[in-house]
Amino acid sequence: MTPRRLLTIAFLVAQAWMISACRDRDRAAADDRAELGAIRGAPVTDPARASADSVVTIANATLEPGALGTVFSARVDGWKGPGDQPFEVTVRTADPASALHRRFGTITMGTSLRARAPDLGQYPCTSCHLGRRMLLADERVADAHDNIESVHPAQTGAICSTCHAADDVELLALKSGERATLDHAYRLCAQCHFSQAESWAGGAHGKRLDGWQGRRVVMGCADCHDPHAPALEPRIPFRAPQIERPRGPRP
Amino acid sequence: MSAERPQDTPNGAAESTVLGKRVDRRRALSVLIGGMAAAAGAASACSPLSAMTDEEKEAKRLAWREYIKGNYRTMTEAERAETIARLEHLAKVKQGTDVTIQSTGAQPGVVFGYAFNISKCQGFRSCVEACINENNLDRRAATQYIRIFEMEDGVIDLDHADATFQHEVPAEGHFYLGTQCFQCADPPCVKVCPVGATWQEPDGITVVDYDWCIGCRYCMAACPYWARRFNWSAPEVPAAEVNPNQHYLGNRARKVGVVEKCTFCIHRTRQGRLPACVEACPTGARVFGNLLDPKSEIRWVLANKRVFRLRRI
Ligand code: SF4
Repeated sequence: MTPRRLLTIAFLVAQAWMISACRDRDRAAADDRAELGAIRGAPVTDPARASADSVVTIANATLEPGALGTVFSARVDGWKGPGDQPFEVTVRTADPASALHRRFGTITMGTSLRARAPDLGQYPCTSCHLGRRMLLADERVADAHDNIESVHPAQTGAICSTCHAADDVELLALKSGERATLDHAYRLCAQCHFSQAESWAGGAHGKRLDGWQGRRVVMGCADCHDPHAPALEPRIPFRAPQIERPRGPRP
Repeated sequence: MSAERPQDTPNGAAESTVLGKRVDRRRALSVLIGGMAAAAGAASACSPLSAMTDEEKEAKRLAWREYIKGNYRTMTEAERAETIARLEHLAKVKQGTDVTIQSTGAQPGVVFGYAFNISKCQGFRSCVEACINENNLDRRAATQYIRIFEMEDGVIDLDHADATFQHEVPAEGHFYLGTQCFQCADPPCVKVCPVGATWQEPDGITVVDYDWCIGCRYCMAACPYWARRFNWSAPEVPAAEVNPNQHYLGNRARKVGVVEKCTFCIHRTRQGRLPACVEACPTGARVFGNLLDPKSEIRWVLANKRVFRLRRI
């Protein structure tokens, strides 16, 4: 075979590959649009939301009313958890109707990493945003996100759409073009904070919940760090209250 | 999960001495009881017993039965069940609390270990709060198993560290290190106990039999971390704050004159849960798990992170 022929074949193969890649991307985009359409208006804990993450959906549990249940696990390819196992994240969810009772210091066995949406003050985003458009056209829009303390964006020069998908603000936009749900914010954070993500996958950063034995349920990045102001707030440390000791001989 | 029996333990020799002592003490006590009964009979007219309510009498009777029981390690399952029933009843009579006392044994193939991340700890002391509530620690003496030390960046110097800081944390240029019982692999406190009241369980937890301890405090002198606490007065926990989930070797009610210590929350960890301090820490500075499980987080940390032992002994 002459080198010229070889070159021609290589060229043709490359072209075929490019065409198919483009087609794949178009198809993926169409799928995405279909997904987003399906997602809009879906209940907060709908496991279908997971499909916006390009990760394997392992288990979908049905939720008993008021109970905490596992929504799905996601495998993070390339990340290694303890024992060199592929890293698997279990996102748990609470019935939106049940009381939210996470409070540091008294985390109980039943509390665990939940879908974040029920925690959010302004949710669903679609009550104001519709794609790139706004549903509301009044003065409420101007100070809608006044509660956000913009520390991290100010430090990094980021704007909303650096992290939030501009055409569907309920999703996070990754640099690869993929989308992640708010429950899987670690995929976004890990793009820059890769060493923290590695430690988190192994168990040195972040917290494990539910016990040392059995299924590993961990807290996600945004469970501890406010994404817009990630540093932990300084505090006055706990001091043990003491029962007053009466003077004189011991009772 | 079978409870440890004397013959299973590696130091069987020490066990038999304990057993010997127990038999001797029991015999001596039963003679004593006989004598007392005779004396009580002779002086029944002015006995303070007659002035007691039925409940007080019952509490006295239970307390007496408790007093003459054996070392936890030498008890049969039936004896353990009896003493637990008595202790639960005593808690009800004394304080009106409904407590459950477990005697859950160690899980096979488990040795607990924990790691403390000094680059994470912020000195919030959330662990201390959780520990006090979980382990029914004496509120009057403000007993704490955990101490968080504040040190200047650059050097670990526990001699000049401040464990009593009470300002906004984390302080600039400082870091924090927590100490509590580390459950030594070869615990010096166990070796010095003259009566075998403290020992290491198969899962690595060093425990105290509060009803066998004579309060000599040798173990406190032997501990390199000052991890043991002595009850100078009877511990007081308000009834409403008592944690009813208890373990015989862990957070059950202690009494005056005995030594107690961190047990890695034995009542939780033996059921697969995390110790209260680990669960409460808002920074994730504490990593806890099974050292024998290569897939555990603690093993990942030991293999992949820069780690040191606070002090070798
Ligand atoms: S204080 Fe109690 S546990 Fe400690 S050495 Fe003395 S008898 Fe043993």
